[in-house]
Amino acid sequence: MFPAMLLLIFGTVFGGAGAQTYTLHVQNLDLVDGEPTELSSALINILDSTGTFKIENLPADVDIADYVREHPSFTDYRILVIPENFQQKAMDKSIYVRAGVILDTLSFVVENYGYTMTENQVGSIENGMDVLKMWRENMGSENAEILLLTDEGDTAAPIVRGVISSVINAFNNEMIGVEAVVSVSENQLTQRSFKAVDYYLPGYIAAFIMTNGIIGVTSNISEFRRNGVIKRLAATPLQKSSWIIGNLAHQVLLAFMLMLAMIALGWLIFGVQAIPGPYALLLIFMGTVVFCSIGMVLGGIFKDVEAASAAGNAIAFPMMFLSGAFWPVEMMPDFMQGVARCMPLYYFHDGLRQIMIYQNPTQALVPFAILGVLAAVFVYLAIKITKWKEL
Amino acid sequence: MVEKVIEVKELTKKYGNLSAVDHISFDVYRGEIFSLVGPNGAGKTTTVEILECLRKPTSGVARVFGLDVVHDEEKIKKKIGVVPQEFNTFNRLTVKENVDLVAKIYGVKSGLKQNLKRLGLWEIKDKKFEALSGGTKRRVGIAMALAGKPELLFLDEPTTGLDPQARRELWETIRSLKKMGVTIFLTTHYMEEVEALSDRASIIVKGKLFTTGTVSELVSKYGGDIKIVVKGERRAETVIKRFTKNVFVGEQGNIIGTFPNRRDVAKALLSLYKLSGKCRINVVEPTMEDVFLRVVGGRIDESGELIS
Repeated sequence: MFPAMLLLIFGTVFGGAGAQTYTLHVQNLDLVDGEPTELSSALINILDSTGTFKIENLPADVDIADYVREHPSFTDYRILVIPENFQQKAMDKSIYVRAGVILDTLSFVVENYGYTMTENQVGSIENGMDVLKMWRENMGSENAEILLLTDEGDTAAPIVRGVISSVINAFNNEMIGVEAVVSVSENQLTQRSFKAVDYYLPGYIAAFIMTNGIIGVTSNISEFRRNGVIKRLAATPLQKSSWIIGNLAHQVLLAFMLMLAMIALGWLIFGVQAIPGPYALLLIFMGTVVFCSIGMVLGGIFKDVEAASAAGNAIAFPMMFLSGAFWPVEMMPDFMQGVARCMPLYYFHDGLRQIMIYQNPTQALVPFAILGVLAAVFVYLAIKITKWKEL
Repeated sequence: MVEKVIEVKELTKKYGNLSAVDHISFDVYRGEIFSLVGPNGAGKTTTVEILECLRKPTSGVARVFGLDVVHDEEKIKKKIGVVPQEFNTFNRLTVKENVDLVAKIYGVKSGLKQNLKRLGLWEIKDKKFEALSGGTKRRVGIAMALAGKPELLFLDEPTTGLDPQARRELWETIRSLKKMGVTIFLTTHYMEEVEALSDRASIIVKGKLFTTGTVSELVSKYGGDIKIVVKGERRAETVIKRFTKNVFVGEQGNIIGTFPNRRDVAKALLSLYKLSGKCRINVVEPTMEDVFLRVVGGRIDESGELIS
């Protein structure tokens, strides 16, 4: 259950089921005969069409300060107020700006290309410019200002502000008829289009296998020893190495089954597409062997079940959170990044990510090598430390 | 000549300065039930575990089927079955799965059903081990020990912690195993169990072996005198005095005479029966408990502790 819960919690929190949306309350005061003006409605529709906001309309007669006070649950509020005469001011300002652009353009042409014209032509243009200047000065130059109110504790406010600014910029450009000069094109480096939850999935799989090995196997082995099951087996012709390898095979099978369950759950709920191929399965096999043999070593060292369990927890939990399984290592301070890179779990989830997300097994060569060496070392130690005599 | 299945000579196991087993010697013969009897901490389990190849002796010789327990571990393990003290196995496996698991380890492919039926486990073969009672769990332990078709079975305190009924049922099982020809090495602190099951027994206390022999040999050698207790007949004292000097009047006026040999007991009984038909006569035979008291100088309580 634990890994499934982990997937559900992190998948939901970190953008698994669709993109994140933010509630935006909009009070439109730009009305004509009680109806919203064309331009203010267009602005609201554009904000709505971004998919970033869930638009909630506030009636024009509502006092915002009272409304916030009377709705205690109205925390993290984001309110956009479109003022009266918004459409009129926006239209006036757009004409004013357009006229300014024309004047600037004509001035630029006369200054730089006047020598190609006759004196009459230059004089006509300058006369026209004088007339346009006079007309422009009589136009309103006040901005159509909209008001964004946010709560000081709202951590999403910068995101909301950024998206609204982008929409307003685009709106402004459209109003004055600006065509794009510089544009940004977007492409994805990976072949498939992955969601955030896809990037976390290798981390969840690796973390589950690690906790199952270091916490689960440690307590199991310790319990088997305490209640005499190992002594019972040791009195049969079963070899110690067969017991170790049998346990590892059992854990590998369990890990594969749980990985399938997690992927199935991820696919059903979040639509994950990161499906492990042969290289990922090989790395999962190696990771399972590493962490289960670490568990067998701990179970062999600690005679007391509680002590073994505590030792497993003391190793597994810091590793789970410090190795960057649940978030990018780059987000962590430099020192902590160094700590993460000392942990076997880091190489496990990093290798899985390279294979499952970036489709680049060659980048997983270091994780393969490190996990391979660790697997050999810990299997050897597990065989050496597990007692088959003098139990 | 009866074949020796186990041969132990001057066997010693030390943990630091403590001698858990101290120069003990005994033999176990094919087909018998041999009991190693002693209180907790006597060295019974250590001895058994050396014979099961689970511990290495510090010195001395221990052979099972003529094979050395240190050098021939693999060969010995193929020929023995073991029910450890406080037996446990995989809780979430069923009875059948647990027994089958051991059979597979031994490479035995047949006889599972017969094994389970013999121990009364066939009807509950699909029950999980964790759901069974204490007595049934021990029977599963024996079934697992028999799964490899062993010639020698080690039962380490098999009835400890069981209620009297479960204990007697397990005794019946052990007797039936003997009839099958399995040699049984039993450790116990119950004297009653030794008398009920054993052909021969050794008494071990604090790592030292005090004596070995058949139960009747031990009783006649160390058990002490046979007692005749007569209730309700004063004249019995005069009659008994004709056959033994040791006569005294006990609690509630009972006349008690102790006899060093059985012949005098028989003669005294005949005379007492002629004396009166109304008196109540009890013959009290010495038991293994008396043997233990005489040899060791103490008794073992129900929990296995030695009381001096």
